[in-house]
Amino acid sequence: MKDLKGIVLAILIGAAVLLTLFFYVIGTGEIELNEIILVGIVLILVGLAMFIVWDRLKNIQKGLPAKDERVISISHKAGYYGFIAAIWSAVLIPTMIDIIFGYEPDAGDISAIVVLVSGFVFVASYLYLYQKGK
Amino acid sequence: MKTRIKELRARYDLTQEDLAKKVGVRRETILFIEKGNYNPSLQLAHDIAKALQTTIDDLFVFEEE
Repeated sequence: MKDLKGIVLAILIGAAVLLTLFFYVIGTGEIELNEIILVGIVLILVGLAMFIVWDRLKNIQKGLPAKDERVISISHKAGYYGFIAAIWSAVLIPTMIDIIFGYEPDAGDISAIVVLVSGFVFVASYLYLYQKGK
Repeated sequence: MKTRIKELRARYDLTQEDLAKKVGVRRETILFIEKGNYNPSLQLAHDIAKALQTTIDDLFVFEEE
C-alpha cells in the first residue's frame, strides 16, 4: 500500500511537471536554444522517472515487492552521485559559463542547472547500477 | 563468488520468480545473485538458503583471490 502511494505520488508529480512545462512553453512564445535544451532535459528526466515507476508497478502486479534491498542500495548510491554532481555543478558550471560565454549566470539559472544536473546524474546512475546489478 | 542457487532451484522445480516471492525480493535480484553480480545481505542469504533447504555455506562458494 505504501509502495502504491509512492507510485501514485510520482505519477502526479510527473503530470504536474509536464503541465507546468506545457504552460511555460505556451506562455514563452519564442523559445531560445538554451530553453529547448532545458525543456528536453526535463522531458528526459520525467520519461526516465516514469520508467522507474512502471518497473515498480510491474513488480507489484506480479505480487513482488516494488523495492528490495538491492533497489534501496542502488537508490542510495545514485543519490550520493546526484549529491556530488549537485555540489560540483554549483561550483563548476557558473565558472565555465563565465569563462566560455563571458557572463555570470544569476542565482535562478544556477539553481535550475544544479537541479537538472543532479537529477540527470541520479537517474543515469540509477539506471546504470540497475542494469549492472549493484 | 559463485552460487548454487540455480542448481538448487532446479532441484525443487522453482523459477526465479517463485524464489523471489518466497524470500520477498524482486526477480532481478535473484538473477543478479545467481550471476554473481550482486552480493546479498546476510539476512537475504539466510532467507534464500532456508527457502532452498540448505545452508549459506553450501549455497555460496567463495573463491580465494
